[in-house]
Amino acid sequence: MEYIIQTNNLSKKFGKELAVNGVDIQIPKGEIYGFLGPNGAGKSTTIRILLGLMKPTFGNIAIFGKDLKSERINILKKVGSLVENPSYYPHLTAKENLEAIRKIVGVPKTRIDEVLKTVRLQDAANKKVKGFSLGMKQRLGIASALLNKPELLILDEPTNGLDPSGIIEIRELIKSLPEKYGMTILISSHLLSEIDQIATTVGIITKGKMIFQDSIEELRMFAQQHIKLKVSQHERAWRALLANGMKAELEDGHILLSDQTDQHVAEAVQLLVQQGISIYRVEEDKKSLEDIFLQMTKEELAG
Amino acid sequence: MMMRLLKVDMLKMKRKGMWFLTILGPVGVIALQMVNYGVRKEYLLEQSNDYWGYYLKNISAFTPLAIVLGIVILTSFMASIENETNAWKQLVALPISKMSVYLSKFTALSIMLFLSSCLLMIFTLGFGLFLDFNQEIPFLEVSQYSFFPFFAALPVLALQLWIATVSKNQGIPITVGVVGVIFAYSAFTLPDWMIWKWPSLMNEWDDPTINVWLGLGVGSLLYIIGMFDFKRRDVK
Ligand SMILES: Nc1ncnc2c1ncn2[C@@H]1O[C@H](COP(=O)(O)OP(=O)(O)OP(=O)(O)O)[C@@H](O)[C@H]1O
Ligand SMILES: [Mg+2]
Repeated sequence: MEYIIQTNNLSKKFGKELAVNGVDIQIPKGEIYGFLGPNGAGKSTTIRILLGLMKPTFGNIAIFGKDLKSERINILKKVGSLVENPSYYPHLTAKENLEAIRKIVGVPKTRIDEVLKTVRLQDAANKKVKGFSLGMKQRLGIASALLNKPELLILDEPTNGLDPSGIIEIRELIKSLPEKYGMTILISSHLLSEIDQIATTVGIITKGKMIFQDSIEELRMFAQQHIKLKVSQHERAWRALLANGMKAELEDGHILLSDQTDQHVAEAVQLLVQQGISIYRVEEDKKSLEDIFLQMTKEELAG
Repeated sequence: MMMRLLKVDMLKMKRKGMWFLTILGPVGVIALQMVNYGVRKEYLLEQSNDYWGYYLKNISAFTPLAIVLGIVILTSFMASIENETNAWKQLVALPISKMSVYLSKFTALSIMLFLSSCLLMIFTLGFGLFLDFNQEIPFLEVSQYSFFPFFAALPVLALQLWIATVSKNQGIPITVGVVGVIFAYSAFTLPDWMIWKWPSLMNEWDDPTINVWLGLGVGSLLYIIGMFDFKRRDVK
């Protein structure tokens, strides 16, 4: 497979602390790679290393199949990026800010109006960025990243500070890019719901270590379903089910049935009724991805 | 690429008042002499038979102070442009070498200081002519007193730019700068090896060209050290 980004044992030490610890990232072409992790997991540090802003303590990086250390400038020509809080020159207008980047990346002047339109900032084009709202600054940051029509777009928490409609808008924009322009996108977030709605591949990092990397479908498979029963006398009910050879678990005073066929559920209910146990609720219990994420990151902390 | 980067730096300097300061420096130095000669011209003319020479001496008493102060303020403005919203991370992630980023900043600052020196020469001549000394104009000395301090001050420029670009805490370059300005003000008491003395063009041998060569040599050295340190460091 052709990987746009491939890292091998990527590590970064700050003093004695390993902020990034042996991370192997593989991002196939055309994917939207969701880079997920709680605060302080090492997402921004990894992204800084990928952009050549920081040197890794160990490990190597290939982007577009080229070694980042020896071909940084050639690689960066085809990369657009937004790292952490957007950077801008407050005393310049939105247009001037983009012009300061355009002159360096060497694209035609018309690109400025195009990207301003893409992020819907055209009305504020000639206003000083000093007076922009956080959301507008974020949009300007995204516009800057798009200016050189990158083949690889790296966005670190790009929806930070946007309101719900802004989030949806930017999400739709990002989603449309791989199809429209053949871009590959790396987008980080600490919110799984965010990644869930946008990513096609997911990497989960916590405490500097990559604990999961696969397609979003594979991640969703973790979300096993149960039938959850709320009954009187749950201990007795659970024993009765087990005694009759039915698979059941006891959790927080609820009974969980992992076999969810209609027939199995009917049999279990019937058995419990016969035993004189009152059944208050029978419901489907779908674990959210959020739960899985929390569980995964917790396991890592405990381990 | 260098030309493009330089243009970008000029664009970023817009509305920062840096060009205003570039002009204010030489204007200030000559304005002091306007007051000086305006108030006590007769007395000053009695001090020496070489009217132009004495006039240039008066001017050159303030040039080093103005130039060192100007360097401190301009470098700190220059660094603040990128430091304010940590735009370094956006700038360095563009397809350019970190060395050219640094070179461009240094060049932009040098251009401004050079322009100040040109203006200083023009104003010196202008006010000198206005004073109507009725003596031959010493063009060579006028240009030396205008441009030599610039070359002799290059080490201070290289040092301030280095500190201002790599310090997270902008208190550090300001502190070093203020101390430097104080040094420049008390140049005559400093030993010859201190870079802040050099713009005064004073030395044990009474030969200002020594300060110029030292300025160029040590300035290049400090520039190279600063550039490599900037390149080596992670952008946070
Ligand atoms: N310049 C630095 N010097 C020292 N430690 C640092 C530096 N940058 C990051 N760290 C540490 O590295 C770890 C990872 O930080 P990083 O910013 O990469 O996390 P993150 O996943 O981006 O978090 P967030 O979701 O909060 O943005 C943290 O423990 C942080 O304290
Ligand atoms: Mg971060």
